[in-house]
Amino acid sequence: MVNRLIEPTSGRILIDGRDISKDDPIALRRRIGYVIQQTGLFPHQRIGENVAVVTRLLGWSRKRQRERTDELLTLVGLDPARYRDRYPSQLSGGERQRVGVARALAADPPVMLMDEPFGAVDPIVRERLQNEFLRLQEQLAKTILFVTHDIDEAIKMGDLVAVMQQGGELAQFGPPDEILARPATDFVARFVGADRGLKRLSLSRVGDLELQTAVTAHPGDDAEEARRRTLADPFRYLLLTDDDHRPIGWVDQDDIPRSGVLTEALAIPMSPLVSRRTTLKDALSMMLAADVVAGIVVDRTGRVLGLVTVESIAAAMRPPDRGVGAATDGSGPDAARRLAAELAARDDQELGRTEATRA
Amino acid sequence: MEAFIGVFAWFADPANWQGPNGIPTRLLEHVVMSGVAIGIALLVAFPVGLYIGHTGRGAFLAVSLANIGRAVPSYAVLVIVFPLSIAVNRETGLFDIAFVGTLLAMILLAIPPIVTNTFAGMRGVDPDLVEAGRGMGMRGGQILSRIELPVALPVILAGMRTAAVQVVATATLGAVIGGGGLGRYIVQGIARFDYQRLVAGALMVALLAIATELFFSWLQRRAVSPGLSGRSVRAYENVAQLGRVDVPAV
Repeated sequence: MVNRLIEPTSGRILIDGRDISKDDPIALRRRIGYVIQQTGLFPHQRIGENVAVVTRLLGWSRKRQRERTDELLTLVGLDPARYRDRYPSQLSGGERQRVGVARALAADPPVMLMDEPFGAVDPIVRERLQNEFLRLQEQLAKTILFVTHDIDEAIKMGDLVAVMQQGGELAQFGPPDEILARPATDFVARFVGADRGLKRLSLSRVGDLELQTAVTAHPGDDAEEARRRTLADPFRYLLLTDDDHRPIGWVDQDDIPRSGVLTEALAIPMSPLVSRRTTLKDALSMMLAADVVAGIVVDRTGRVLGLVTVESIAAAMRPPDRGVGAATDGSGPDAARRLAAELAARDDQELGRTEATRA
Repeated sequence: MEAFIGVFAWFADPANWQGPNGIPTRLLEHVVMSGVAIGIALLVAFPVGLYIGHTGRGAFLAVSLANIGRAVPSYAVLVIVFPLSIAVNRETGLFDIAFVGTLLAMILLAIPPIVTNTFAGMRGVDPDLVEAGRGMGMRGGQILSRIELPVALPVILAGMRTAAVQVVATATLGAVIGGGGLGRYIVQGIARFDYQRLVAGALMVALLAIATELFFSWLQRRAVSPGLSGRSVRAYENVAQLGRVDVPAV
């Protein structure tokens, strides 16, 4: 509808405050980048020609078209010299998808439409394309309308997510975190899934949390002094670090000798190391796998910045506006009834999912 | 073997290469007649096929008519249009009866494969491609010329190829109602019990049909984008490695 392939029956669509129904549809479409499912590359044209479709329609000079094409192919990570003269049938699904993105970017449109752009590739390639595209978007900063059936993709890619319900009804519109934390309706809650709490974890990174300070000491330090400091701290372990402040291992407060000095032999295996860029989901997963309650946050050179604990992650996930009496959500007869209803509705849910996303 | 040598001798006889009944004249007549027929059939059938394929309107009617046309034997068509060509000749006094008759028959035979294949080729174009083109701001004519036609081209050309080969074969029958072309040798051969002439004529018609077939497969290789068929893509790669790059006629 935004590029007027379908005309709205009512209402208005504004781009930069301008009602698009007053624009010439041909000119409008040339101003909007368009990526469709299965890429829609023209099989009879070389990759270079495919990327240059819109610039050619706009009447750019051949030289300028070619320069732009090469620039775009490079941007999406395809070597122009290798790919320019190939045909789409000679490319893998992921490569074709990138060409599709390059083609949509050709005339540097301020607005892009992407209709399930990564729907036709396998999950591994999809994940890579998503990450690449997010990186690309950091440079491009386009307004993108991205349609997907995959709620995880929506949450990963979107700054704002609109959940559509059957009948083309807008069920909820907001940032991904809000959709996961406070689904507006039962439909949205079911749609984002019972694991929405876990999904939220992947939206935040360790660096978003306030790190807990760790009690640290070097081998050779006075043991009694270190023991006193550890006992004074709520966390029961002392973190042994080397001279450069890189972690060596933990010492349980009960294992710290009452006299003498600390030695490396005291240290027990370390917690997982995470960086500020690690998502909370990955951090939590690493802690669960290592059967520990804290991860050590290190900087790029491996120096200890602080700790991230299971408790601090849980605290970060707690919706800020939730009062003390909010326990009904997870327990009690109400919750049990709701769970029963949810299990019964599971078949309907599958149905609802496809319809909703198609709408 | 003797018969074979006899036919060879017939070809070797200089008398058969001269005059209005000589091989060059008859061959030319045959080729011109076929060419004109294919040309006219194209002018009629191609736009119709494009229209039906692009809009989807009238598909059932056109395809049914085309299929009926295909089921009728060439000879029957010739007989049916013969009275018509006599009428044309009487009214205008312009054309040779046999020429017009044969031409009409050939045109009628050439139209169905061109219409159906053009239509089928256009129909076979992935709707996603058309939508992509529209979404990028192509006009109707640009979608037709830059997407639908080039993608449908292999199927369209296959239809033309069928039509052309059929026309070349049918032109032979023109001689039965008094027309020219290579068919004359066959008719004369039967009438005069001249076996060598008969076989020589048949041989030349067969060779011409094969040449037509070859011409169209050459055309197909030239005109169809290598991107549309895996085999030619590999061939293209080899060419590209040698540093020569063909630009498809798109």
